[in-house]
Amino acid sequence: MFNRSFSISRLPGFTTIAILVFVMLYLPIAMLVVFSFNSGTSVAIWEGFTLEWYPRAWANEQVKDATIRSLIIASTASVIATIVATMAALATTRRKQTRGQTFVYILINQPLMVPEIVTAVALLIFFASIKVATGYQGLGYLITAHAAFCIPFAYLPIRARLEGMDLTLETAAADLYATPWQTFRYVTLPLVMPGAIAGLMLAFVTSLDDVVITLFVKSAGQDTLPTYMLAQIRRAVTTEVNAISTLLLGLTVIMLTAFFLLTRKRN
Amino acid sequence: MSTDSDRLERQRNRNGWLLSTPALVLLAFGATGPLLIMFVYSFLEPGKYGNVIWEFSTKAWFNVFVQRDIFDGTLSPADAHLTILWRSVKLSLMTTIFTFIVGFPTAWFIATRPPRMRTLLLFLITIPFWTNLLIRTFAINQIIRNEGLLNTLLLKLGIINEPLLIIYSDFAVFIGMTYVYLPLMVLPLFASIDRFDMRLVEAGYDLYASRWQVLKRVIVPIVKPGIISGSILVFIPSLGAYVTPRILGGGRNMMIGNFIELQFGQGRNWPLGAALSVILLLIVAVALVVYVRFANRGDSNV
Amino acid sequence: MSAQDGVEARNARKVYGTGQEKVVALDNVSIVIKRGEFFTLLGPSGCGKTTLLRLIAGFETPTSGTILLDGTDITYDPPNKRPVNTVFQSYALFPHLTVAQNIGFGLEMRGHAKAEVDSTVEEMLALVRMESMADRKPTQLSGGQQQRVALARALAPQPKVLLLDEPLSALDLKLRKEMQSELKRLQLETGITFIFVTHDQEEALTMSDRIGVMKSGSLLQVGSPREIYTRPADRFVASFIGETNFLTGVLGKDAITLDAGGTLPLGASTQAKSGSKVTASIRPEQIRVIETDAPGSLPATVTESVYFGTDSHCHFALADGTEVVVRLQSPASGDVGLSRGQNVFLRFEPGALMVLEDQA
Repeated sequence: MFNRSFSISRLPGFTTIAILVFVMLYLPIAMLVVFSFNSGTSVAIWEGFTLEWYPRAWANEQVKDATIRSLIIASTASVIATIVATMAALATTRRKQTRGQTFVYILINQPLMVPEIVTAVALLIFFASIKVATGYQGLGYLITAHAAFCIPFAYLPIRARLEGMDLTLETAAADLYATPWQTFRYVTLPLVMPGAIAGLMLAFVTSLDDVVITLFVKSAGQDTLPTYMLAQIRRAVTTEVNAISTLLLGLTVIMLTAFFLLTRKRN
Repeated sequence: MSTDSDRLERQRNRNGWLLSTPALVLLAFGATGPLLIMFVYSFLEPGKYGNVIWEFSTKAWFNVFVQRDIFDGTLSPADAHLTILWRSVKLSLMTTIFTFIVGFPTAWFIATRPPRMRTLLLFLITIPFWTNLLIRTFAINQIIRNEGLLNTLLLKLGIINEPLLIIYSDFAVFIGMTYVYLPLMVLPLFASIDRFDMRLVEAGYDLYASRWQVLKRVIVPIVKPGIISGSILVFIPSLGAYVTPRILGGGRNMMIGNFIELQFGQGRNWPLGAALSVILLLIVAVALVVYVRFANRGDSNV
Repeated sequence: MSAQDGVEARNARKVYGTGQEKVVALDNVSIVIKRGEFFTLLGPSGCGKTTLLRLIAGFETPTSGTILLDGTDITYDPPNKRPVNTVFQSYALFPHLTVAQNIGFGLEMRGHAKAEVDSTVEEMLALVRMESMADRKPTQLSGGQQQRVALARALAPQPKVLLLDEPLSALDLKLRKEMQSELKRLQLETGITFIFVTHDQEEALTMSDRIGVMKSGSLLQVGSPREIYTRPADRFVASFIGETNFLTGVLGKDAITLDAGGTLPLGASTQAKSGSKVTASIRPEQIRVIETDAPGSLPATVTESVYFGTDSHCHFALADGTEVVVRLQSPASGDVGLSRGQNVFLRFEPGALMVLEDQA
């Protein structure tokens, strides 16, 4: 009757659950995207296709402001995070593990272990005093905070890359008359580059997405896209937010695809 | 002459510290240092319009657990705080368990596909992981809100006459957290199932185990490190969740993250907020210690 | 050519770790490797041969002692300042550079003009017969091809000494044989001093001008392949290089009275005192099996015969139970005609029995 062959790795019900999970994972996001093209304002009833929400969102000065601010913060913070993370990764990998290195490693990953809300509150307290003391209200606080929590995201792919790297390559360069600087410039750096770029992209995406820390650190009038969206969500009509979300989603997918291709290439 | 190679080694270490310094300074200013200051703030007096007065006080810590009646001054447990703490822990545990129940079959499914399919499915799990948490929560909001897709569909089909009041409840927060944190469970589970040697399953069947017995006695014990990492990765952000309960939970169904925020906003009680943050940090620390213990034990077993 | 020409290590000592974890990787080794020589460091893993190589290359500095090149102290010179190049066990080809770029790397780092780099690269590609692969990346090459590129890369800057760290260990048997003669050819053509590290005794015997046998951080014996094989200094050298039988006895004048009975002449004089208890060794191929007693032979009983194709290894028990292995070439039938329990006599080739000095 049932002449199905016995598959070792098959467990009953697992496939069904897995397929359901994938559907459930994408359905809400897909709906969000679809309804960003809805000519009505409902998020449930389709009233026809339109692109009008996109120019309308862009025409909103607040959105434009927040977008530019988000991009400035994300690019500055991710570049800073990647540079310092690369330096730290060079210092903490490929040598005998010392207690000092373990300490550095824990500190670098600390933002991953502490709940964001706690870091956010702590930064609010800290920066509030500095704001009072110095009178400075600029983007520096947001950039510092973002760069700090982006460090572990930049650090991990760089570290992975360095650990996968054959140490004898550097020895070989030294053997072939390269000075330490030449070894770094012509061997280590080109080999680390894919990791550093991957780290940069992860840091960028992480910074761009941040809500909680930004919410607590920002001064008045320093909304980023996510904090602006958070403020809008409680409103009844949110189609504009759908449009912004769709664009952010697109950006994330592009960055991730690039990241995936970059890290896969090494195999 | 032996000092010569020692000197080289020391110089390398010094260079190591030098290279790490920028990252450490940045973290000191942007993450770790402020945590210490926050700890200090939890022992100060609240200022009238927010911030603090620099006077030593244990009132904030006292208030976390105990409240004084306004009228007769009697002491009683701070029910509101304890309720919120308990809700946070309960919802986080539920989220962890449920993401495991659906995450395990998903990870197993991915790990047993042919290589190309596996890469694709893994990528599909990774995308939501890196996608803005706010957007994903917002997507859930649009599905379950009263005039959302789910209710509209059910009403149109005539299955219900009134919209289901899901949003702004603990259940909505649970759904939202399960949705946003599921990839955090699937990824480490996949990693450990992927390393799992399928011949062990064959050996299990060969020795007369049923499918259920193979799952329980062979597979689960071996992939335990993945189960523990996944659980920790889901539990910690769930416990500190702020965005999801704010968007799906409404004002009454606060979790500890939202309650902390309240102390820095309308509550104007920074020391209490700081003390609650320290408590949250402590719970996370305990979870991490448990994790390290279990993970190490798992290693020595395998 | 002065006496100091070539590479010299003087009392080179290398200690890793401290306290309980202290490991002496190299224990006061002194050695002179002459210019233009194909010298092999042979020993089991962990014997210190790679450590000695790394000290010569400059990747590590000795805990004490000195390294000299043509009479100059180079002990603390960094590797990029030494006219010494290495062929790494893993090849260590730069994966982001092409074959040609890999080969030209050393010359470029030294600041040679581009035209000069290009012509040397071409020369090197021809030398290792890889002209058609110049623009490939290392990952697109087979193991044997990568090996050739690594060789060309190390030879391109025309070093005074070429160090080879088990370069053939990753290749399969056939390729290994090919590369052995290739290496020997390159060494003769270039005239560069080759210092070759291996744990493979056959490789060492076939390629080297001289061999240094190492064990536990010490140099046990240095000599030509023939000397090492026929006159091993001690029990370890005798058993590590080729197979051998050990026999104990009391030393007489140019002869040894074996514990198993019989007195046999020795192949060479020994420093051991007459009348002392010694161990002697004899190679399995230097023993003949005969049916009847003859001078210089010992009675023995066949215990086992193992067929190896080209030859058979027959095990015998001497009168006192000592086991002796004899290698017999296989006849056409493949059967050497010895059955278990059979009583025969073993005749030792004259001069083949050597007294091991470390037993004296």
